[in-house]
Amino acid sequence: MTQCQHAWKMTNAQYGFTVFERCSHCHGVRTYYAAQDTWDEYREGGCTWSIVENAQTLRFDLECEKCQQQVDFKDLMGLMYCTSCMEDCEVECAQKALAPQKTWILAAFGFLPHAPETEISAARLEILTDYFNQRRDTSRSRVKILPFSLIKQVSLCHGELIHDIGMLSPEPFPERKPLF
Amino acid sequence: MKIQELIQNLGLKPLSRFEDRDISGVFISDMMSDAMANAKSGNLWITVQTHKSIIPAANLVDVAAVIITSGKTVPQDTVELADRHAIALLSTDQPTFDLIGKLYGLGIATS
Ligand SMILES: [Zn+2]
Ligand SMILES: [Zn+2]
Repeated sequence: MTQCQHAWKMTNAQYGFTVFERCSHCHGVRTYYAAQDTWDEYREGGCTWSIVENAQTLRFDLECEKCQQQVDFKDLMGLMYCTSCMEDCEVECAQKALAPQKTWILAAFGFLPHAPETEISAARLEILTDYFNQRRDTSRSRVKILPFSLIKQVSLCHGELIHDIGMLSPEPFPERKPLF
Repeated sequence: MKIQELIQNLGLKPLSRFEDRDISGVFISDMMSDAMANAKSGNLWITVQTHKSIIPAANLVDVAAVIITSGKTVPQDTVELADRHAIALLSTDQPTFDLIGKLYGLGIATS
C-alpha cells in the first residue's frame, strides 16, 4: 500500500467559547471549551472559580479528503503568534532561523492548566502545519506550528493568541489582560 | 487584480508596507475564528475589527489584504504587526456595504 499524501480539510467545526476561569484562593487559572458562554461562579473543594474571560472560538477536526483519516483537534485551545518578545526563547529562535525561508511560527496551546497530557503531539502538530500550508500559496510563505512548551516562560510571553475576546460586548474592544 | 491597483481604483489608504500580490475573492467577518475556518488564500478580508490579533489571523490563512472599513481608527500596534509580517493593511472611510458594492462592480466577489 502506498502512503497517502494527505489533503486535509477542516471537519466537525463548532463555534463556541474558550472559558478562562481563575480561583480567588489559589489564583490558579484553567480553561475549557463550552458550547455556550456562562459567567457562573462555583466552588470546588477549597477553590472558588470565577470566569474572567469568554473568548469566542472554533474547535474542529481534520479529515483527509483522499483516505478519510480523521484527526481530532478538540484539545487545541488556540494558536499563538510569536511576537519575538523574549530573546533565547526557543520559539523566537525557531522564528529567527526560519525567517529567511519566509516561514512564520505559531505555538499551539492545549487547555490550561498545562500538563504533559495536555500537550498536542508532534505528529498532530505536523498535520496541523500541513493543513494550514495546504491552504496557503506556499510559493510566497509558509507557517510552522510548534508546541507551546518551547516558550521560555509562558507567564511572560506577549505572543498574540488568535481568538475573539470581547466580541459579545457592544463596548469598544478593551485592552487585553495577560491570560496567564 | 493586484492590491496596488485596487488601492488606486477605490482610493484605499495603505497603512503598512506589503508585497503586491493578486487578489482572489472577498471574505467578510469580524471574527478571527471565522477567518481561521473560512478565509481563503488571496482573499480580501473586510472587517471593522482593529485589534492587533487580526494580523496573525490574516497571516495564518494567507489573505492578500485586510481592509478596515467605516473609517475606524487602527491602533499603532496593529499597524506595526502588519508591517512586520508584510500584510497589506488598508483602510477606508466607506462602510462595508458600499465597499462590497464597489468590489462587486470591479468583478471581485466572494469566493
Ligand atoms: Zn490521506
Ligand atoms: Zn484554588
